[in-house]
Amino acid sequence: MAAISIRDLCVDFGGAVLAVDHVSLEIPSGQFVAIVGPSGCGKTTILNHLTGLLPVQQGQIAIGGEAPRAGSPRVTYTMARDCLFPWRTALQNVCFGMELRGVPLPEREALARRELERVGLGRFADAYPKALSHGMRQRCALARGFCLQSEVLLMDEPFGALDAQTKIQLEDLLLQLWGETKRTVVFITHDLAEAVALADRVVVMSARPGRVVADMAIDLPRPRHVRELQRDPAFLQLYSQVWEQLERGIRLSETQDEGAMA
Amino acid sequence: MSATPLNAALPASTTRAAGSGRGASALRHLLFLIAFFGLWEWGSRAGWLDRTLFGQPSEIAHYLWRGFFVRGDLWLELGYTLAGTFISFLLGSVAAIVLGLAFTQWPPLERALDPYLTVINAMPRFALAPLFLLWFGLGLSSKVAMGTSLSFFIVLANTVAGIRGVPQDFLTLSRSLGATPLQLFWKVTLPSAVPVIFSGLRLGLIFSMLGVVGAEIIAAEHGLGQTLAYLQSNFNMDGVMALLFLLAALGMVVVKGMARLERWLLRWQ
Repeated sequence: MAAISIRDLCVDFGGAVLAVDHVSLEIPSGQFVAIVGPSGCGKTTILNHLTGLLPVQQGQIAIGGEAPRAGSPRVTYTMARDCLFPWRTALQNVCFGMELRGVPLPEREALARRELERVGLGRFADAYPKALSHGMRQRCALARGFCLQSEVLLMDEPFGALDAQTKIQLEDLLLQLWGETKRTVVFITHDLAEAVALADRVVVMSARPGRVVADMAIDLPRPRHVRELQRDPAFLQLYSQVWEQLERGIRLSETQDEGAMA
Repeated sequence: MSATPLNAALPASTTRAAGSGRGASALRHLLFLIAFFGLWEWGSRAGWLDRTLFGQPSEIAHYLWRGFFVRGDLWLELGYTLAGTFISFLLGSVAAIVLGLAFTQWPPLERALDPYLTVINAMPRFALAPLFLLWFGLGLSSKVAMGTSLSFFIVLANTVAGIRGVPQDFLTLSRSLGATPLQLFWKVTLPSAVPVIFSGLRLGLIFSMLGVVGAEIIAAEHGLGQTLAYLQSNFNMDGVMALLFLLAALGMVVVKGMARLERWLLRWQ
């Protein structure tokens, strides 16, 4: 059974502008899907529907056979900004989700410490976010997401704000964490190299109204290492293919705009 | 008085950087003060400065000494002023925080009350003094009423601003993780708003003291403000100056104490 099933999802904000136009996606359990597209193509909107924070207007979404619901233990959401609470230490931040879900204190602290070790922040458990670098903060946010053990991870450009070098380190870390547990991941990004390097499958969307213009399998072998991939001809070929599809999507919506004006 | 919140608003790094030269700067201040009071003393002894208008530092110090350690009557007046300040600070800020929380949880209430609150806040508050005196008498109650009416609004404004300023991402993330409205409030909204509420509380404390001392000057049986007015009417300029120094010192102590509490509570900042 598909972990996530989206059928004919349409979203408009206030009637006039269609943001998402009949998007359908079937995502099998354990798959790492990247959704790419120009800004304003409705990537984040789709993700917000998957979290259950926005009600579905038209179409259907099912996660593990159920309608999405905010706070569902099946789903964990990671945002573009690290979104750590400055008044909590790294450990307390990682604990936050478990705290909301009623995991008892000793258990959640033990889990959080283990997760911080895994992202390489073991020594910084008691540091406040102000003392952590951008990369460390995003590591901490990853730990918070992964220690919730939900089946589905929704990630909205989690590395968008990082410098190139830190980004590659965190991409490798994400691949490693994901490889250990094989959750279903929906990863939104505007960085095509990132999408190809991380995902099993890249979904390319057009500019507004957001439609799926291409759905490409990325059959690069795993385990992958982002830095090495960048020299791999197979990677480069896939990367340029994704680019072509993205350009096609942008052209498509441009000709449509002209048609509408004429 | 207006300089204090400005100083306090400086980022922590600036204050810390200044800390390295603290010894040297304290020495400079000490030298300046010695020169200042020395000139003053010399000027009034030599007759350059009119003692009936400016007083004389040695007499001012003498007045304070007698007031606290010989007659001892200043303790009582100080007690009245401090009690008035703290009671009105407590009443004003608790009421303001409660109302501010109610406003943010239930916006129609704010829309309904806002115009009235704006009008009351815009009114020069000391104009209410005659009314408060009639309603609450010459004693502590009328001073508390004045102090409360001043501290209430500043704390209210900061409470509302603090809660409005909670980053949307924090709320989105917490909701997606399944936070209940109560969890959202206690674990996200309130801690996130605390720094802004606190700067309101700091101002609220200063405003409480301002209201209490002001009301004492207008009419009272006790308090430093009342003593000040009494000394002024008797042309006891040494006493007036002494009281002014005392009030300044009191304000400093109160604000420093508050800043210390704030630093401890907000040590994550």
